Amino acid sequence: MTNDIRLSSRDLEHIAQERVVETLSRPSLSYWQDAWIRLKGNRRALISLYIVIALLAFTLIGPLLWSVDPSVQDLDQISQPPGVDRRATLVAPHVPWHGGEAETAAVDGLRIVGAANSQAVRLAWDPIPGAVRGYRIYRNIFPIGPEKAYGLPLVMSIAGTWYEDLLDLKPRDYYYTVVGLDEHGVELPDAETIEVTLPRVITIDEARGRGLIAADATPQLGDPVTLALHPLGTDALGRDLLARLMHGARVSLFIGIVAPFLYVMIGVAYGAMAGFIGGRTDAVLMRFADFVVALPFLLFMILFKVMFGLGAGESGIVPMLIAMVILSWPATSRLVRGQILSIREEGYIGASRLLGAATPYLVMRHMIPNTMGVILVTLTFAVPSAIFTEAFLSFIGMGVAPPTPSWGSMCNEGIKTMLTTPHELLFPAILISITVLAFNLLGDGLRDALDARMRSRE
Amino acid sequence: MADVIIDESSFVRSAGRQLLVYGIVTVLGFALLMWLLDALASLVGSSSETTGAVDAATGTITLYLDEEPPQLDSTLATDQVSGRIIGHVMEGLLRKDELGNIVGGVAESWTIDADKAVFNLRAAARWSDGKPVTAHDFIFAWQRTLDPATASEYAFILYYIKNAEAINRGEMPPTALGVSAPDERTLVVELERPVLFFDKLVSFPTYYPVREDFFKATNGRYGADADTLLYNGPFVISSWVHGASLRMDRNESYWRRDEIRLNTINWAYITSDANAQLNFFKDGKVAYAGMAPESLSVALENRWHLRQFQDGGVFFIEFNHRPNRLTRNLHLRRALLLVNNSSELVNKVTKLPGYLPTNSLFPAFLDGLHDKFRREHPAKDVPIDVDQARRELELARKELGLEKWPPLSLLTGDNPIANLQSEYYQSVFKDKLGLDVRIDRQIFKQRLQKMTSGDFDMVMAGWGPDYEDLLTFGDFFASWNLNNRGRYDNPEYDALVRKAQASLDQAERVELFARMQDIIVDDAVILPNYEKGASFVTDPRLKGLVRRVVGADPDYTYAWIEESAQ
Repeated sequence: MTNDIRLSSRDLEHIAQERVVETLSRPSLSYWQDAWIRLKGNRRALISLYIVIALLAFTLIGPLLWSVDPSVQDLDQISQPPGVDRRATLVAPHVPWHGGEAETAAVDGLRIVGAANSQAVRLAWDPIPGAVRGYRIYRNIFPIGPEKAYGLPLVMSIAGTWYEDLLDLKPRDYYYTVVGLDEHGVELPDAETIEVTLPRVITIDEARGRGLIAADATPQLGDPVTLALHPLGTDALGRDLLARLMHGARVSLFIGIVAPFLYVMIGVAYGAMAGFIGGRTDAVLMRFADFVVALPFLLFMILFKVMFGLGAGESGIVPMLIAMVILSWPATSRLVRGQILSIREEGYIGASRLLGAATPYLVMRHMIPNTMGVILVTLTFAVPSAIFTEAFLSFIGMGVAPPTPSWGSMCNEGIKTMLTTPHELLFPAILISITVLAFNLLGDGLRDALDARMRSRE
Repeated sequence: MADVIIDESSFVRSAGRQLLVYGIVTVLGFALLMWLLDALASLVGSSSETTGAVDAATGTITLYLDEEPPQLDSTLATDQVSGRIIGHVMEGLLRKDELGNIVGGVAESWTIDADKAVFNLRAAARWSDGKPVTAHDFIFAWQRTLDPATASEYAFILYYIKNAEAINRGEMPPTALGVSAPDERTLVVELERPVLFFDKLVSFPTYYPVREDFFKATNGRYGADADTLLYNGPFVISSWVHGASLRMDRNESYWRRDEIRLNTINWAYITSDANAQLNFFKDGKVAYAGMAPESLSVALENRWHLRQFQDGGVFFIEFNHRPNRLTRNLHLRRALLLVNNSSELVNKVTKLPGYLPTNSLFPAFLDGLHDKFRREHPAKDVPIDVDQARRELELARKELGLEKWPPLSLLTGDNPIANLQSEYYQSVFKDKLGLDVRIDRQIFKQRLQKMTSGDFDMVMAGWGPDYEDLLTFGDFFASWNLNNRGRYDNPEYDALVRKAQASLDQAERVELFARMQDIIVDDAVILPNYEKGASFVTDPRLKGLVRRVVGADPDYTYAWIEESAQ
């Protein structure tokens, strides 16, 4: 074992005293700055935040850019999916046909008289031997197969040998079939079928009325026009879906933001009071909150509607708002009460009290700010649930009054034609889903960001 | 810090794995549970329901009912489903054949004069317990219907019988009714006023017989169950499970039993859900399915043989003519009539085959003198004229002394078609006349109540015929008719109705109805919309199904199964 430590004189010199004992490795951050940084680090929450901002822009700025009236009915473009051919030809106004020219056509058998277009199809045929009880006319959108399913029966029995079809004609292929009826009214085995491709047409008056041609222009029959643009298609009455979605968003977001804001405020005040006073008052107040939780929402919604004496076609938005506010505050109040209860016992509260702080000061300075995180998170989670409630109530017909759209009522209208024109249901449904999801993810991110205990993790 | 991150990601990974396992277990568990439940259900379920739509071997067809009939007492029945069931199990003095002609039912022969009708009942007509149907059974049924204590809603249809109205008002005892039975098989009916279509009336369910001793034995439960009803029609109800199913077997005591070719009609399902009805048909479980608008495209894709039927109902917007209402003003009504485009409504908005645009209160199927009434007397056409409409509206505004128009309420039913139509009219009145319309959507009962109390400006209403005569539509707007819910009150119109009721001369009557039709247009009493149609599909093996405007509809009594038609 050797012990040869050699020290030089330099080793015994004084170490120069450091000037700075400790430095801040990071800038000093307030609670909110820190939360914001953590929120920015959360990509999901950030994207959700952008989506929420985009939705607000869609609702508030959208109608300025896309200034189409959401209640104008374009009956030439009913249930139109997005991106169809909008070219049309100008034609004369429709005059009901009484079978003229039916016999003059040169072709035998079932034939088209005049120009068949999306305004009218005029059919004429030669008498079919054995057709004692008249004829039956069908229209199909599929070619007629061996099963002889001729499609929609347009008329079950017609005596003449001509027919004019006006029913919901779309620019597409149709297969018309005429069958004779024997003396018992039974269809004869032979049927005549004709295929027609209909071009889209519009009358000059209609085109002018819809602003497709200038009022001073002198259009000629046969001129091409382009029908009004509907970027997201139209609904069953030809109303522009994009405009309806924008206006519907107003209702949905109005309820979705105002209702939670109001009931969270009530809940905070109520919960803070219960938590702060404590004791018997707390017990009584919280039992009342339990009682409110037990009240059925739907029933109250209906009762409010009746109580408000809502007459014919008045909007149910205000009663909906009131019902939501009256019935939804207890959840927030419970949360806040819990927070206040624990904060009340903290040392700094005692210190503050000793220094002579009055109750309002304690509540406003210490308690509410310390529960702000919880409140904000509740608020962001309350928004999607309120939007969903509005959509649900409008869906079952208790919300807005026609023609005001809301996403829920649009879903309700769209679901009836889900199989044939799915876009009428899809667009509002997607918007509801995205909004609800975005608010939920944002709330999730906010909860993480505002949780003070997470600060140590960085 | 790095450690923490690694820990977290591995934690997330293991948590994710665990979640996945839970997910798979849950899905598998549910699948197993559903399979078990299904197996259990098929063990418990009755075997009769597993037969297909049509069974040729047993002569059975399976069908669904839209609703459960409230009860099957013919003196009280008002709804369509009750009418359908009662029409299959009961028979009146006269009945309708497959082509809709009036033929003998319980009555073998009959004579109808201006003041008296005599029916000779056939000896073979029996109740399902084997006892003969007698004249007394009819007298009992009619007296009971008219008794104010019974409160039958259709009592008015008996008012053509002498003293019937007074009895129904409680001014005379039921025994004062002008009917008598000289013997068991002769029924003599004294008429209050001459009626040209009494033969059509007596085929209506309210005129069906009820046997007194059986009725009394049921202690007020007559028609509430399968065994508290006595049958004299082509079928008997062999089982009625409330809310679930109703089964009919051929009535072996029925005098025409050899002509009835179906053995059993099994109404195995009760549902008003159009989707469920469609799926039953798709799965081959029922032989008939009515088509909701959204079902039509499914029918086209499946290449079903669609049929269509005009059910005789006329639909229109009825105005409220009560004194305090704006719609009492003729110029306002005219203005609205001048922008009413029923062709656009039917072809662009309703979009259903079988719906016919109309401009009249009277449907196209009703007979006139030699031809159909509407062909002999087409209603005045009111061409669309927006400028004229605006002038009328301005006149109305001045007459009413209004600064600006308050919103008008439009009462409608709560169903997809009514929603479309009401929103269409809302937009038309707004665009063309600048009038605000508030849509008041109500379920049927609520709507009826609001119509009765007059809580509307306009209402989307309709009327189906009670019997096949112009009068069933003509007297709709008589001031005393309780169904005239807009309380239209025009002495000139009333006089025409009274004359038509009393007249036995069809030529005169047709003229009277043509004048009523003119008044309806000139006075803008209604905005005519359409005659309603209905689309349906049937199993190709089921033949001889009869659709009726009045009476049991659809009627299966003449139907049969043709196996080869597959």
